Formats: sequence, C-alpha cells, structure tokens
Amino acid sequence: MSGRPSKPRQKRIEYPSAADEDLVRAAQGGDMVAFEELVGRHRDKVYARAFSMMRNEDEAIDLSQEAWVKGWQRLQQFQGEASFVTWMTRVVINLCLDALRKQKRLRTESIEHMDSESGGVERQMPPLIINPTEGLERQEVRQRIDQAMSQLSYAHRTVLILHEFEGLEYKEIAKRMECSIGTIMSRLFYARRRLAALLMDLKQERPT
Amino acid sequence: MNHEAALRIQAWVDGELPSPADREVAAWVERDPDAAALATELRHARSALREGEPEYSAPVSREFYWSAIERRIASPRTPQPQAPAAPPFAWLARWFVPAGILAALALVLMLPALRDQFAPPVKRASEEVESPLDDISSVTFRSESEGITVVWVNAR
Repeated sequence: MSGRPSKPRQKRIEYPSAADEDLVRAAQGGDMVAFEELVGRHRDKVYARAFSMMRNEDEAIDLSQEAWVKGWQRLQQFQGEASFVTWMTRVVINLCLDALRKQKRLRTESIEHMDSESGGVERQMPPLIINPTEGLERQEVRQRIDQAMSQLSYAHRTVLILHEFEGLEYKEIAKRMECSIGTIMSRLFYARRRLAALLMDLKQERPT
Repeated sequence: MNHEAALRIQAWVDGELPSPADREVAAWVERDPDAAALATELRHARSALREGEPEYSAPVSREFYWSAIERRIASPRTPQPQAPAAPPFAWLARWFVPAGILAALALVLMLPALRDQFAPPVKRASEEVESPLDDISSVTFRSESEGITVVWVNAR
C-alpha cells in the first residue's frame, strides 16, 4: 500500500464506440476529438438537411459546416431535451432559413405567389385518389420525391421539409419562416397538391 | 369547395384542429365524396414524403469536411464557446434572496416584541401575521395569556 493519495481516475472515452451523450459531455468539457467524432457520425444527416433546403452542393457543404461551428460554440446550451442530431439539424435549418431570407429566395414570386396563397391551379384540379407511389420500392419513392421536390419553389419546399420531415406544427413553422399560420397552411396545401401532381406525372412516365 | 374549406380538411388530416372542429370535419369527410377525395390525396402526399425522404451524403471525405470546420473553429475571428451568460446580478440574487427571506422571517418573529416596545400596551389574546413573500408563506400565532409564539412556515 503506498502512502500517496490516489488521484480520481478520469473515465477514458473510446470515441468510436461511445454514446452520443458521452461524446457531447466530453465536447462540452472542451474535448475536440469527441466533437470530431460527433461530426463524423452525423455529418451526412446535417448536410442532407442543408441540401434538401438549398438544392446546391456547395451551399449545403458550407452551411452545414457553419452549423457545426455554431454547434461547437453553443454546445453549453445543449441540455439534452432532444437528441444531439435533432439539435444540430435545427441549427442547420436556422442557418439555411437565414441564407434563403438574405437571398430573398423564400418569397413566392408573381403568379406563383398569387397561386400559392389562393390554392392556384392545383386548387382547380380534381383530387387524385390514386396513390402515386403505391407499389414502388422505397429507393424509387425516394428518387421520385427528390425529383418532385426539386421542381418546387424554395418557399413551398421549405414548408414541406419542416412539416413532413421535421414534424413541426403549423405554429412552429410560421414562427421559423416569419409569416402567418394562414400563409403556412396555404403554402403547405399548394405544395402538397403540386407534389401529388408531379408524382402522378412521374407514375405515368415510368409506370411500375 | 372553397379554399378555406380545403384548408380545414388539410388541418384535419394534420391533426391541427381542436376537438369540436375536428369532429365536424370528420363527419363532413364521411358524407361528402369530394372532401373525402381531397383528404385521401393529402394523406397520400404526406405518407409518400414521410416514407420517402431522400437521403444525401456529403460529397467530400470526412477528413476534408472536418478540416474546414476545425479551421473555422480555430480562426481568431470565430467567437470561442462560452457558457450561457448568467443574467446580470444573478450572483447577487443567489445570496440576497435567501437572506431576504430569512430577514423577513426574523422580522415577522420580532413583530410582537417590537410592537410591545413601541405601542401602548394592549392585552390581546392572540394574533396572526401573514408573510407577503411569494415563495415562503408563514403564519405567526401569539398568545399573550399563554406567553407563547408559534410560527408556521410553508415553503411552496
């Protein structure tokens, strides 16, 4: 038995196998290697959200990297109410919304604007009761959704992303997009009907 | 069907309507084929999106991606992480709030003695004093005849 007082042993992290929570705690304590591991694990998810909103690879890389920098700076604010990747996704969404606002891409323009607020051409269309993705493999559904989403305006795509992919309620989307709930409902309606029509076109072009 | 009616159906599909309106729209969709068809189309679009969210991967290597982040974090122009800023004078509140509560309690306890000292002597059987504090309430009972003081302290 030695007479020297024993130092409290610090828990060693096995970075590749550590849980996100442990990595976050370590990163909050200044451990950059733990943060790098988090980036490595979730970079695709954060990049994907940026790309789905911006539809441009360079912008998506830049904004997603910026989101990670912001994440590092604000890591002390992360309290674990949601998962870390959900928190990071919200960070990148806010950055994308800021970028779209700066570039004035969130405005629905001219005729499309009037259409979207009133329901537009899609409002006059009879509803499509056939499921346009029925019988498709998941990968094919993804490809068609991607193709259809790329044809929507930024404003309509964003509202679909926030509602369907992020699961946000009308009120929360209105807050983030800085517009009224009525506008969000109109945009969502227009975007869904347009998307349904685009998916139906693809179904007719490429039947299963 | 007008635009407002269509939006109500959409809100119903999304579970955004409060209870009485929710039941009304459900009954309407039940009996009106146009309303039912629109609800079906909106549901199809919603489920296609939820099941078929496209997946994208960052088109650069992990090392390249991280190196740019690392550079930006290390840049002198990038503000370094800080703990969330405490509101000004938070430290003051941390010490002074409990001290204030204790002082108020002491005052409540001393009230009968002070009153006896400065007021003309009036014989009272008992009295109650309530604390005005929000977080801690107390009621003091003083019996002159028994010569006792009882304080109830209720911490919420």
